[in-house]
Amino acid sequence: MATEVKLPRLGQGMESGTIVKWLKSEGDPVEKGEALYELDTDKVTQEVEAEASGVLLKIAVPEGEVEVGKTIGFIGSEGEAVSAPADEAKPKAEEKPREQAPKPVAEPAEPAPATDGSTNGRIKASPLARRIARERGIELSQVRGTGPDGRIVAVDVTSVGKPGEAEPEIRPAAVESRPLSNVRKTIARRLTQAWTVPAFQLTVNVDMTRANELVQGQRELNPEVRITVTDVLTKVCAQGLMRHRDMNVQYADDALLVFPSADVGIAVAAPQGLVVPVVHGAERLTIAQIAAVRADLVGRARDAKLRTGDLEGGTFTISNLGMYDVDQFIAVLNPPQASILAVGSTRDQVVPVDGELHVLPVMTMTLTCDHRAVDGATGAEFLRTITSFLEDPGLAL
Amino acid sequence: MPELSYREAVRDAIATAMREDQDVFIMGEDIAEMGGSMGVTHGLVDEFGHERVRNTPISEMALAGAAIGAALQGMRPIAEIMYEDFMTLAAEQVVNQAAKHRYMSGGQLKVPVVFRTQGGAGWSPGAQHAQQLEAWFVHIPGLKVVFPSTPEDVRGLLWSSIYDDNPVVFFEHRTLYGIKGSVPEKIEPIPIGKARVHREGEDVTVIATGRLVHESLKAAEEAEKEGISVEVVDPRTLQPLDEETLVASVKKTNRAVVAHEAVTRMGFGAEVASVLQYQAFDWLDAPIERVGARFTPLPFAPVMEAFVVPHAETVLEAIHRTVDRQS
Repeated sequence: MATEVKLPRLGQGMESGTIVKWLKSEGDPVEKGEALYELDTDKVTQEVEAEASGVLLKIAVPEGEVEVGKTIGFIGSEGEAVSAPADEAKPKAEEKPREQAPKPVAEPAEPAPATDGSTNGRIKASPLARRIARERGIELSQVRGTGPDGRIVAVDVTSVGKPGEAEPEIRPAAVESRPLSNVRKTIARRLTQAWTVPAFQLTVNVDMTRANELVQGQRELNPEVRITVTDVLTKVCAQGLMRHRDMNVQYADDALLVFPSADVGIAVAAPQGLVVPVVHGAERLTIAQIAAVRADLVGRARDAKLRTGDLEGGTFTISNLGMYDVDQFIAVLNPPQASILAVGSTRDQVVPVDGELHVLPVMTMTLTCDHRAVDGATGAEFLRTITSFLEDPGLAL
Repeated sequence: MPELSYREAVRDAIATAMREDQDVFIMGEDIAEMGGSMGVTHGLVDEFGHERVRNTPISEMALAGAAIGAALQGMRPIAEIMYEDFMTLAAEQVVNQAAKHRYMSGGQLKVPVVFRTQGGAGWSPGAQHAQQLEAWFVHIPGLKVVFPSTPEDVRGLLWSSIYDDNPVVFFEHRTLYGIKGSVPEKIEPIPIGKARVHREGEDVTVIATGRLVHESLKAAEEAEKEGISVEVVDPRTLQPLDEETLVASVKKTNRAVVAHEAVTRMGFGAEVASVLQYQAFDWLDAPIERVGARFTPLPFAPVMEAFVVPHAETVLEAIHRTVDRQS
């Protein structure tokens, strides 16, 4: 019996996912645990591993959105016949020849990178859609198909660009319409949601002399992982959150959820868009441990290999744009979290200390809080704590 | 406007033509006293006598040949072939004789004969008494093929068939004999080769014949509740085919379903689909869907029969496939 490959539920609330591409072709041998296909959920794009060994007999869903639990392929022994799953088989007039010519085994093993609406470079479009595209000078490769199997149909083409009077010539440099990725849609939805939250901001300047020394010292102690200011900030914030439990909260309409551990999210600019992987239980980790976790998360975020669990359960977020030489900024809340810390770059500044002018490395950070969950004074006390931890790291012990 | 059943409409066309024209007569098996196995010619023998309402021996080939001979001699005979299935027995005369004489004589001979026949599932007639063989005759140059679906159409088209100088194979559907519809007071001939748009729509054109016209209209009503606007067109004449009307409709809606009760394979819908894909290629936004019977002899058991032939739901499913979009 062939094993059905079903779309897994990779996190709470996941109802569907979008198959980006298969990493194996029909007829390829597959080992259990080997990456089988790339899946785009509303949070991440990740490779999904095969749950059985054998031969990939059939790809039932080559690409596109699929509900959780639906059969998307079959793994079995060579030559084994598979039937399309019942929920896949579309009603068809019986006489219609179901042409499924068996693929020769020597097909090119590398499937061309599939883009929406195309397979192996061939763009699927209805004749009407092709004619409209030809008349309007629209590149079909720029159009996302919404017809069956991703076929580009007329409405996909007519909705590109401006409707109305047909200009005789459309410049190729016209506005490019890129379909939204799931990550981009999620960013848009969640940040719009954040905008409805009453929020306030608190800004402080921090003397980073000792924190920088700590980073240096830690680097010497732990040469195997590159420790950064963000790691120290993560540790410091985690300690601060444990001391100010009123900060480690979420507003939940009829209750305030108070979390037992500091699960600190770190905003990462990944190629596909902003993602916020979480360092879970940061208060229990050493700076070096945090650095190792952080390096792994950021690396996988950039390679689009985060798993859903990496993104779930954050209670607080750090967004550090210091490396981009940003002096200071205000971050938008990362719902449902109640607070987010926006960190600027550290710059030498002239600071009066005990009546004398000193040149000190100063960092400006701004805390944004959900006022439904956190009051100004609570936020201020938290900020004062983490400022003192950064200026005198020993206090965090 | 008076209301007639499909059966009465056929009878009215025959009777009116026979009243007005001595050249018109009808022959067939048990059509006189019995009124035909479907009751279509009921009462005609009383009015016109046995000379013009002629019972024939049980030989479709003989009665078809006799009708062709009469037609060649200047009469306008109507030959009733009791079941469409029995057209196979008359095929030699219809296909090799009637269809050829005008051509082979260089136009010197005319063959103004009508072969009226009927078929269709829905009443458990079994495998040998319900076939839909219209496509066979559409394939023969020299024949005209008519398949009306309403009382008005069957009356107006039978009239035109009687007065056409070419052999016409005239298909009636068994399950439509009882349906009623309003008809003009006086018979208005309907030109052969003219389709009828039963219902206008924007999203998909269903081109249906015979019983499937009515099933398609039901499907269109269902689709409308879902916001899908369906145009239903009945070609009425399969040969010659009103390609212009069909193509214009599909150019408007960009999607097409062809539907008939005959099996899909090599069915009339295949020809329509071919015409559409060629003439409306650049207007098609979805593959043309085909609806027809499953490829099997018709089962006798009612549930199996219902499973084999298409219904409104089958048409609706095809409509859905043409407008299918990914979310």
